[in-house]
Amino acid sequence: MTLEAEVWNDITPIPQDDGPDPLAPIAYDTEYTKAMDYFRAISQKDERSERALELTEKIIEYNPAHYTIWHYRQQILFSLNKNLYEELEFVKDQIDNNPKNYQLWHHRQVLVEKLKDASRELPFINEILNDDAKNYHAWTYRQWVIRTFNLWDDELDFVNKLLDKDVRNNSAWNQRYFTIFFNPTKPTDEFLAQEIDYVIEKIKMTPNNISPWNYIKGIIAKSNKDINILEGLCKEIEEQNIISPHALGCLVDIYESRARNGSTADKEEGIKICAILAEKHDTIRKKYWEYRKVILVSL
Amino acid sequence: MTEFVRDKHISCLKRNLTLLPRQYASNDTNRMTLGFFCLSGLDLLGALESEISEERRNAWIDWIYAQQILPDENNPEVNEKICGFRGSPFSGLSFDPNGTRESRLPFDAANLAMTYTALTSLLILGDDLSRVNRSSIINSLKYLQRDDGSFTQTYQGMEADMRFLYCAVVISYILNDFSGINIEKAIEYIKNSQSYDFGIGQGPGEESHGGSTYCAISSLYMLNKLDEGLLSKEKTLFWLISRQESGFQGRANKPTDTCYSFWIGASLKILDKFELIDYEQNYNFLMQTQTKFGGFAKSIDNNYPDVMHTYFGIAGLSLMNVSGLLELDPVINISKKAKENLLNNCVFHKQN
Repeated sequence: MTLEAEVWNDITPIPQDDGPDPLAPIAYDTEYTKAMDYFRAISQKDERSERALELTEKIIEYNPAHYTIWHYRQQILFSLNKNLYEELEFVKDQIDNNPKNYQLWHHRQVLVEKLKDASRELPFINEILNDDAKNYHAWTYRQWVIRTFNLWDDELDFVNKLLDKDVRNNSAWNQRYFTIFFNPTKPTDEFLAQEIDYVIEKIKMTPNNISPWNYIKGIIAKSNKDINILEGLCKEIEEQNIISPHALGCLVDIYESRARNGSTADKEEGIKICAILAEKHDTIRKKYWEYRKVILVSL
Repeated sequence: MTEFVRDKHISCLKRNLTLLPRQYASNDTNRMTLGFFCLSGLDLLGALESEISEERRNAWIDWIYAQQILPDENNPEVNEKICGFRGSPFSGLSFDPNGTRESRLPFDAANLAMTYTALTSLLILGDDLSRVNRSSIINSLKYLQRDDGSFTQTYQGMEADMRFLYCAVVISYILNDFSGINIEKAIEYIKNSQSYDFGIGQGPGEESHGGSTYCAISSLYMLNKLDEGLLSKEKTLFWLISRQESGFQGRANKPTDTCYSFWIGASLKILDKFELIDYEQNYNFLMQTQTKFGGFAKSIDNNYPDVMHTYFGIAGLSLMNVSGLLELDPVINISKKAKENLLNNCVFHKQN
């Protein structure tokens, strides 16, 4: 797309005044400078026209993070009563090329809020997550869509599929928590018991995967259960001669909580495991485990 | 490469301050922050005064003030919401080192992140903030806080999250006036954004992330609410310390990245637990993301440096007191020298 001179011949472009010695000036492409010079001229008059819309597209090509241009574009789209479904297609192409740009996702949200129609959103987000299942922007937007349009019903199935594909995907574990605990329908005790079994299975598959360990500790705390229920799992992993710093770290938490209730045997056991983690199995966190040991000794 | 190439970083940052390559056009509206990365990097390298003439430093101070939007008596209703600093002069007003009062441009507005990096850049350059219009900036914050306690970056209504909550808090801290923030709501937002693993996300329900965890911890520190705001300091410590793999990752099961040596490192520093990390592995990782012509890249397998990762690489090393670097204030994210300028010379602190 190029800017045609005859469309703009009634406009006097306004150059950027950067002063005598600007801080960190950018070596702009001539086309970007030209487009911005027209933007400065027409935005002062708040012109809302077809050519203004095209101009925003040109600027976005160079600078998709230009939040003011997006804001201007939204005002033009609404003033000209543009077909916002077409704009959804436009922003989809933009996001495909720039999946980690805040302004693009926000623009999509503005459009969907205006349309009050989220029917295209989950399929669209699925496509983006298919390329990068940990894209933070996509997840933020997905949570907004689910909350705003009450689309909770199929989300756990979706998360299950993602975890089947990659059990180390922490974003999917986080979404699991969101789906269960941010849902207006609260989970039953029976559901939570099954959920703990599900996570234990996943931990057994990959005992060195931190994500389900964090998750299970989280749901145990959330459902007011005792972390002691994980002792069996940790011991089982140990007995199979699998070295898992996460299982050992979990035992430290368990023993520390019992030591706080006065158990000397657990205190000694906890100190022993801290030493093993510090010296052998989690040496990058040597000083951390020594710190935990000092806490245990002081109890 | 195991040597820290200090001189190469100095020339790289000087080059960028003079002219950024064309691909930075995609950050045109964030130029103030790009400038901050270069200035603060040079400052941490102890090279700002020796490498940049006083005349040039003063010209940059003027350039920063030229981006300030001041109160406009002719149009107070609109103007109240847009005071502060722009990221660059893109909106089309003439250069004025005293700032501009014209508020009839419908698409001209300050931005919280740009106001934050304008103020820190001024402090780094040795300015006393005497040309900053404090009351108008503090007043504009009221229009940017949402009901849930979070902040948006401009009144034009972009996304609201933990990043801009931090910007609002640090601006108030620098200007020594918290009256523009509903502190109770801000604390509530931080509490609600703590995840089941006690890291902190950009908002409630979102995945724990090194950047948002830093923003939350640093904000709580400035508000003097660390004990109240962190649901479990020990568990947040475990989340932070678990991010070290050699350098640091920003989220569980994600690759290491130069910038998290700062985000996670500074969070630990604020919690007074930085000494628990493995210095040697962090140092070696950063020596591998350092590029031989100066600057830092995001990761080991990407050898193209950018100003953001260059700054955070230097800042990450400064947290470890690597020789040849000034000490960093982890809360405001400027050198301790620039922080002293704030406390001893700045007009908003001196008088108190």
